[in-house]
Amino acid sequence: MTYEQRLTDFRHYVGTGGKVEATDWMPDDYRAGVLKFIEMHANSEMMGAIPEREQIPHAPSLQRKMSLTAKVQDEVGHSQLLYRIAEDLGKSRETMYLDLVNGRSKFHNVFHYPTRHWGDVAVIGWLIDGAALVTQAALLESSYAPYTRVLKRICAEEQLHLRHGEDITLELASGTDKQRAMFKDALDRWWLPIVHFFGPKSNVGKDLLLRWRVKTRTNEDLRAEFLDRYVPKILELGFSFPTPVPFEFEGHWVLREEDIDWAPLDAIKRNQGPETARRLELRRSTYEQHAWVRQALAEPATQVA
Amino acid sequence: MDVYEVFRRSGHKQPFEHCGTVTAPDSAMALLMAKECYLRREEGQYMWVTRRSDIHSWSDEALFEPAADKSYRFAHAYRDVVRKRELARRRAGQL
Amino acid sequence: MTEALVAIVTSLGDDELILGHRHAEWTGFAPHIEEDVAFSSIAQDEIGHAAAYYSIASSLTGLTRDALALGRSQGEYRHAVLCERPNSDWAYTITRQWLYDRADSLRLTALEDSAHDALRHLATKIRREERYHLIHADMWMERIAHGPIEGRTKLTRAATTALSATAGLFEPFEREADAIGEGWLTVPSEELGRRFLSEAVDALDGLGLPAEVTPDGWRAEFVASSSGDLIATAPSDPGETSTPAGLGGRSGRHSPDFSELWADMTRTYRADPEATW
Repeated sequence: MTYEQRLTDFRHYVGTGGKVEATDWMPDDYRAGVLKFIEMHANSEMMGAIPEREQIPHAPSLQRKMSLTAKVQDEVGHSQLLYRIAEDLGKSRETMYLDLVNGRSKFHNVFHYPTRHWGDVAVIGWLIDGAALVTQAALLESSYAPYTRVLKRICAEEQLHLRHGEDITLELASGTDKQRAMFKDALDRWWLPIVHFFGPKSNVGKDLLLRWRVKTRTNEDLRAEFLDRYVPKILELGFSFPTPVPFEFEGHWVLREEDIDWAPLDAIKRNQGPETARRLELRRSTYEQHAWVRQALAEPATQVA
Repeated sequence: MDVYEVFRRSGHKQPFEHCGTVTAPDSAMALLMAKECYLRREEGQYMWVTRRSDIHSWSDEALFEPAADKSYRFAHAYRDVVRKRELARRRAGQL
Repeated sequence: MTEALVAIVTSLGDDELILGHRHAEWTGFAPHIEEDVAFSSIAQDEIGHAAAYYSIASSLTGLTRDALALGRSQGEYRHAVLCERPNSDWAYTITRQWLYDRADSLRLTALEDSAHDALRHLATKIRREERYHLIHADMWMERIAHGPIEGRTKLTRAATTALSATAGLFEPFEREADAIGEGWLTVPSEELGRRFLSEAVDALDGLGLPAEVTPDGWRAEFVASSSGDLIATAPSDPGETSTPAGLGGRSGRHSPDFSELWADMTRTYRADPEATW
C-alpha cells in the first residue's frame, strides 16, 4: 500500500468516526497535529497551576486551604496524564518542558495573567473552569482515543472544580459588600481573557484539527454555548459585565464583534502576556535547580556499603 | 526511569482494571506515586504496578477476528428451548 | 486544667498547619510531576491534622477552628521554628519531612496513652495516615543518600541545619508540668526528644550519613562516609551555630520567616474575620 492509499483509507476511517490508538499507523500531519494539541493542553494545565497556587497561602479558611490545594493538585495531575500520552506519541517530557520554558510551545491565554486576591480564585474556579469544561467536553468525541480516555477523567474532575468555584463565588456574592466587590473586581479583569480563551472564529477549511476530527466543534460554537450557560447566572447574582458586554439576541447571549479587542491575545501569542516572561522564567529556573534530583531519580537504586 | 502501568481494584466483585501510567525510577516509587495519582479519591483499595516493558500483546489484532461460526459459545444459539421443551412434554404424554 | 490541654493541641495544630503551609508551596513546582501530586497530598493531610487539633481546641475555648488557625497575632502561634523555615531546596524539604514525621510518630505514640479521649483517638487516626508519609520520606532519603554525590552533599547540609532545629519540636509545651499532672501527656517532651535524637542519629547512620552529635545534644557533625566521600560538616547558615537552634516556638518566639508567612496566611481572613468564605 502506498502512503497515498493509506492516507485515503485513514481519512475515510476517521471521517466515519473511527478511533486511532498510539500504536496505529497515522499520517505525518495527523501525528504532528495531535501531539502539538495535546502538548499545548499539557502545558496549559502545568502553567494553569501557577496563578491559582499563588492564592493558596492566602486561603481564608482551613477548608479552602485544603480544597484549593487539592484543586491545583488535580491540575498538576492533569498535566501528568497529558504529558504521559504525549510522550507515547514520541516526544520526551524533557524536550516538551524545554520547549515550554524557552517559549517554543504555547499554553492557553488565561494563564498569562496575574491574580490579585480571593476574588480571582472565584472567577477562575467558576468561569474559567466552566469555559475549559465546554471545550473539553467537545473533545470527548475526538478521533485520538488515548486523549479521549484521559479527557474522561479530566472532565469529571473539572466538573468538581466547577462546583468548587461556584461554591466560592456564591459565598462572595451573598457576603459582605467587600466580598461582592472582590468578585466584581476579578470579573472586570478576567472577562476579556475569558472571551479570548475560545479564540477567534474557526477557519473550518484550514483547521487541520477539525478536518482530522481531533477537534469536533468550532470556536464560535463553543463560545456561544459558554455565553448561554454562564451570562444569565452572573446576571442573576447582580453583577454587570465590562466590555465586551453580552446582550440578548434571538434567544441567545451574544457579543458585538467590534467590542472585542484582540490585541492582548495577539501579544500573548508572541509570549508577551503580563506574566508570561516571569512565569516561564520561574519554571525554567526551577527546572534547572532540580537537575540534581532528576539525576538521583535516573540512577538505579544502589546501596552504599 | 520507566513507564509503569497502574491497575486498581475496588472491593471484591470486580477484577483489577487498568487506570493509567506513571513514570518512576523503580516499582516502590511507582507504587507511592500511583497511589496519589490514581487512588486519591478512594477509587480502589488494591493496586498493582508493572513496567510497561513487562506487558505483552499480539501485534496482529486480526487474530481476534473469528472466521467460522462460533455461535455455540453464546446463549443466543440456544433460543429454541421453548419449542423443544413443548415437544419433549408431548412425547412424555404419549408414554 | 483545660489551659494545659489547650496549649498542647494548639502547639500540635500550629506545627501541622505551618508545616502543611510550607509543603503546599511545592504544588506545581516539585522536581517530578508524579511526585508533585504525591507531595501535595501530604501537605493537605497536615492541614487536615491541624484542623482536627483545632477542633479540640475549639471545643475547649469556644473559638472557631478558623479563628484559631488564621485569627491570632504572630506571637500567639506556638509551633516549632523548624516548621516555619522556608522550603529552601528539595533536599531540605525532604530532610525536614523525614525528621518531622519521625518525631511526630514518636509523639503520637505517646499521645495514644493520653487521658483525654478525643486526643487519644485523634492520635491513633493521624498515626495511620502518617504511615504513608514515613514511607515517602524514607524512600526519598534513601534514593538521594545512595545517589549521585551532588544530592548526598545537599542532603548532608540539609540534615545539619534541620536536625538542630528539630530540637524545637521537643521543647516543653506551655504548662507542660500541669499537662503531665492531669495525664494529658504521659511522657515529658524532653524525654521524647532524647529518644528521638538517638533514633534519628541511628537512622542517618543507616543511610550512610553517620553523624556525631555534640555534647549539647542537637548539633550534628557529619563524618566522612565509609565510601570516603567528602561530606560537608558546616551548616549552610552560619547563624545556626551561634544561637540556640530552632528554640522559642513553644512560647511564641518566631523568626522573620514567620512574619512573612503569617502576613500571607492570614491576610484574607483578617481583612474580615466575620465573613464566611
